[in-house]
Amino acid sequence: MAEKDYSSAEDTALVRLAQKGDTSAFEELVFRHRDKIYARAYSMMRNEEEAVDLSQEAWVKGWQRLHQFQGESSFTTWMTRIVINLCLDQLRKQKRQRAESIELLDEEAGGVERQMPAVTVNPTERLERGELRQRIDKAMSQLSYEHRTVLILHEFEEMEYKEIAKTMDCSIGTVMSRLFYARRKLAALLADLRGAD
Amino acid sequence: MNDEQQLKLQAFLDGELPEAETREISAWVARDAEATALLKELRQTRQAFKSTEANVQLPESREFYWSKIQREIERDLPAAPPQRPSLFHRFRRVLVPVGAFAVLVVISILTFPRGNGIDSEMAVADSEAFTYQDYDSGTTLVWVSYPAER
Amino acid sequence: MRFRIGSSVSLLAAVASLLLVLSAAAAQARDFKFEAQLIWATMSESSPDPQHKPVDEKTRERLAKVNLKWKNYFLVRKVDASVPEKGAKEVVLSDKCKISIRQVDEENFEVSLFGQGKSVLKRMQNISKGEMLVLGGNAPDSTSWFVAVRRTE
Repeated sequence: MAEKDYSSAEDTALVRLAQKGDTSAFEELVFRHRDKIYARAYSMMRNEEEAVDLSQEAWVKGWQRLHQFQGESSFTTWMTRIVINLCLDQLRKQKRQRAESIELLDEEAGGVERQMPAVTVNPTERLERGELRQRIDKAMSQLSYEHRTVLILHEFEEMEYKEIAKTMDCSIGTVMSRLFYARRKLAALLADLRGAD
Repeated sequence: MNDEQQLKLQAFLDGELPEAETREISAWVARDAEATALLKELRQTRQAFKSTEANVQLPESREFYWSKIQREIERDLPAAPPQRPSLFHRFRRVLVPVGAFAVLVVISILTFPRGNGIDSEMAVADSEAFTYQDYDSGTTLVWVSYPAER
Repeated sequence: MRFRIGSSVSLLAAVASLLLVLSAAAAQARDFKFEAQLIWATMSESSPDPQHKPVDEKTRERLAKVNLKWKNYFLVRKVDASVPEKGAKEVVLSDKCKISIRQVDEENFEVSLFGQGKSVLKRMQNISKGEMLVLGGNAPDSTSWFVAVRRTE
């Protein structure tokens, strides 16, 4: 019997088939979107192994909850939300095991970045794309998970403040403070990295 | 510039302000050099950040990555019929944890002896259980999901 | 002489009757023997509680058979229990956790898990001699708890 070829089927058709229990259709969805879901997990966790595990867990959860997907958003958006929530759960668990983030305390105390003058030179000027990505990557790893997450949800997932607040279970004011802090910290780190050239 | 003004400026950049406030901030930025500079920095940082959404690739082959997912999915599919028929085999169910918002029965069921002490308390989700059986060894696992799925 | 023979027969009959009564009683009072283990599963190398020892190899193998992924399983408490025929037996595993095993019929048992006196889970299960029912759930810090109920007799 010939194997089913779903490579040309649209996501909506694959989802419908998968909702009826077709694991091959689901496999095709996993194949198509595995990089994006993994990338989101990696941007939050900053750890390859954890990102692989959590992205796989997200796919399993996606399968289990497929009947809830009604097409109100794209399938990838829906899956991305699942992996984000899993990553947040995991980060919160890890935080309970560690001392409170110094970054977060710094922010709550007012944060030196609030008093910092605006970086007048474009910190990304003359940087090649690859180099810029590396620097941003390095700067991101220096942020706490709360600040990193707010940036990711706002800039990559294009969530509004109130949606971010709901996802992160905090107030809109906290979202705004964290976002501001994260952006200024990023600018300062990029300027600093450039200064080190 | 105080904290509130800084956050307002950010909200202005992010399109989160109502129309009237947007006009106010716009006018303020036009006459205030510090506000202009800060807005420019926030905008450039945002652009730089967005432009570098990592083109990250999964560091595993398709087949290997899928095999683990497949294994987990197939655990949730209806189990093979038992080899020894029994009236009560009807009660052996493989339940797929469904329902994003389970009703939580928050119960502490374990306290480990103190000393260097683990003191574990956990919540157990009611009716969020699934079963896995290994007929060869005669072992049945009933797993209760926790925390409640979001 | 006749009196002595008559006495012997009476004695024999009495002993036979007694034996009959005793075996009938034994047949009615059949007990089902279980072993219940409270287990803590973790990826850590050791338990913070020095009294916790790793589970025995057979238990470990059985946990692996149901695809459990923890690196180490530590025995918190092990209790042997006898469940009377058509009856129930409560087994206390910790100051907050207990199970009840009730024989329903033949080899079918209802196993109930209680936390702080409240019912958490009730499971009807066919458990033959040697078979094991494992109840489990997540615990904080990526660990898990298990209650393994094995029928030994």
